[in-house]
Amino acid sequence: MLKNFLILTLKGIRYRPIRGWLTILGIVIGIMLVVIILALSSGIRTTITRTLQVFGSDLIIIFPGKETNPIVGLLGGQKFKEKDLLDLERINGVKFVAPMDIGTLNVEYNGEKKSIMVHAANWKRYVEVMESSQGIKLEKGRWPENDEVSEAVFGYLTAKTLFKKEVSAGDEVIIKSKRFRVVGIFSEIGEQMLDNVIFISSDIFHALTDSRGVSSAAVKVAPGADMNLIAKQLKFQLSKQEVVRDFSILTPDKADRLVGNILSIIELVLVVVAVISLVVGAVGIMNTMYTSVLERTKQIGVMKAIGASNDAILSLFLIESGMIGLVGGILGIVFGILSAYLISLAAAGFGIRGLFSFASLDFFGLFVVLFLTFIIGIISGVLPARQASLMEPAEALRYE
Amino acid sequence: MNENDKQSKIDPVCGMDLTEYADIAPISHKEKEFYFCGKGCEDRFKKDPEKFQKEPLIKLNNVWKIFKLGETETKVLRGLNLHIWEGDFVAVIGPSGSGKSTALNMMGLLDRPTSGHIFLNGEDVSLLNDDKRAKLRSETFGFVFQQYNLIPWLTAYENATLPLIFSGKKIETEKLDARFQEIGLKERLTHRPFELSGGEQQRAALLRALANDPEIILGDEPTGNLDSATGNRILEMLINLKKTNKKTLVIVTHDADIAEKADQIIAFKDGCLARDHQTHKKAYTK
Repeated sequence: MLKNFLILTLKGIRYRPIRGWLTILGIVIGIMLVVIILALSSGIRTTITRTLQVFGSDLIIIFPGKETNPIVGLLGGQKFKEKDLLDLERINGVKFVAPMDIGTLNVEYNGEKKSIMVHAANWKRYVEVMESSQGIKLEKGRWPENDEVSEAVFGYLTAKTLFKKEVSAGDEVIIKSKRFRVVGIFSEIGEQMLDNVIFISSDIFHALTDSRGVSSAAVKVAPGADMNLIAKQLKFQLSKQEVVRDFSILTPDKADRLVGNILSIIELVLVVVAVISLVVGAVGIMNTMYTSVLERTKQIGVMKAIGASNDAILSLFLIESGMIGLVGGILGIVFGILSAYLISLAAAGFGIRGLFSFASLDFFGLFVVLFLTFIIGIISGVLPARQASLMEPAEALRYE
Repeated sequence: MNENDKQSKIDPVCGMDLTEYADIAPISHKEKEFYFCGKGCEDRFKKDPEKFQKEPLIKLNNVWKIFKLGETETKVLRGLNLHIWEGDFVAVIGPSGSGKSTALNMMGLLDRPTSGHIFLNGEDVSLLNDDKRAKLRSETFGFVFQQYNLIPWLTAYENATLPLIFSGKKIETEKLDARFQEIGLKERLTHRPFELSGGEQQRAALLRALANDPEIILGDEPTGNLDSATGNRILEMLINLKKTNKKTLVIVTHDADIAEKADQIIAFKDGCLARDHQTHKKAYTK
């Protein structure tokens, strides 16, 4: 019985293919959005967590400006006095402080000039921060011997993609006006900001840029120390200095929460958009079903005349709207996964890797989505199908 | 025959209410008095008086149908009384708008009367709910329409088997194939209605009407859209069916040939029956 009804419905839909497909398209768009959110959100979370790992679990980062916007603070030009930051080492539980500076400089290699973000740090302190806390390793070469030599370490992508010719360890480059030897290349971190940098010693950086002070610092905390307590003390101590009034102290916990909040907002916006488009899709199905009932009024009359009960007519139209929903759901899932894949490919082009993988697809979630579209289809069909089922056969037959 | 019928002077054969016709004299039969609308009904009664004193297969009792369109009311059926006898081939004739088709819809439970009662084998079916009416339509009636009314997205074969899907019966392929063969549509099984001629469509529609092996076949001008040769073939098929399978056939028609071959002619006028049905044959058929 059900099989026969399914076949009947399919034939009915195939009779008007364009309308059917357009209605299905209305659902596809909504489902696509839902699936993209489903497929990418875990990838985005992993990517961000990986970025956070770079902050290190035993590091507290100090930078000027609001904590929600570290980039503006860092590039804003406000700088701490190096001494104020180094004085923080006196706080109990602080192992050491690694001040860091940042600036955009011109780099020349093989006759080609580019401008790039240059990080400057005290090598001894920074190597420890990178190796023991951030897990950043050199892929090739070695760390510079001391802060006096003109040696630079290139980020993974900087070496690979900044210049037409790939930079390798041992090559010479000119940064601003000074000749540097590239002694090491970082292994890939998988984070856009950190893969596209050049590291040099802060002493040389200050001489080159004629600047005083440092823009930020990584505070390495002794094992077992209370992060939040140290953060409070850092804040108290730093508030005594007069140079930077507005600064942020970012503990790993806080960074985690911050990113989580931003992610939640993005997801919320996407979910709202998806729900709206699903509602629009449902209204589309309802509209199509009403038109369909109107168009087939005569056939409804005929079917009733040859013995179709109200329930049979109701089922036929509900199956039709449910199928429209279901097909829309299947296509939405297929196109959604495809879009997520393309988005992750595009993101990988910008250095953000691992946003999406087929292995991490949430199949239960997809099944729920599919079931949902079927239900949306059926609910959208209820009113038109009821209207069709309650028609008096003679009246329906008179309809032209 | 009950008390009420006697008082209201009902023609036992066609069911016409003759109460208002003062000029009709009763005819006695075995100490009972009967009134007849005309010679045709009287003759039929005399051939088999016992049969016509039983309960007819279909009985319409004081059936009114009023269509309301905004402020205007159209009284299509005005207290119609009508009998259909089992095994009869009935031709329903009358001018356009006289209520023939509406009466046919009432008999076939496609429409509900505004007031009055419809009896099928003595059971009042005018008050049944939608589901019971659908079941009766499925089991008892087969419809053939002037416009064929095949479902356009189904093939001839699928159209013919559609009633079986709704009645939940098994499709007996061999039996159906034989029927298609018999009716000359064997080559057209997988064609859709728009690929079929009018005659072919109507033959497929006929097979559809017979799918559930109904007792009563109702046709609303089934040959009206066909040329006379094709129309005659369809008609012959219907009459054959009636003869070999003892079906009851009620056909609304303007076709003189159909009226000629019918066991009973019923003439309509202004939502009621017209007296002396036979005499209207010339006026309402071609």
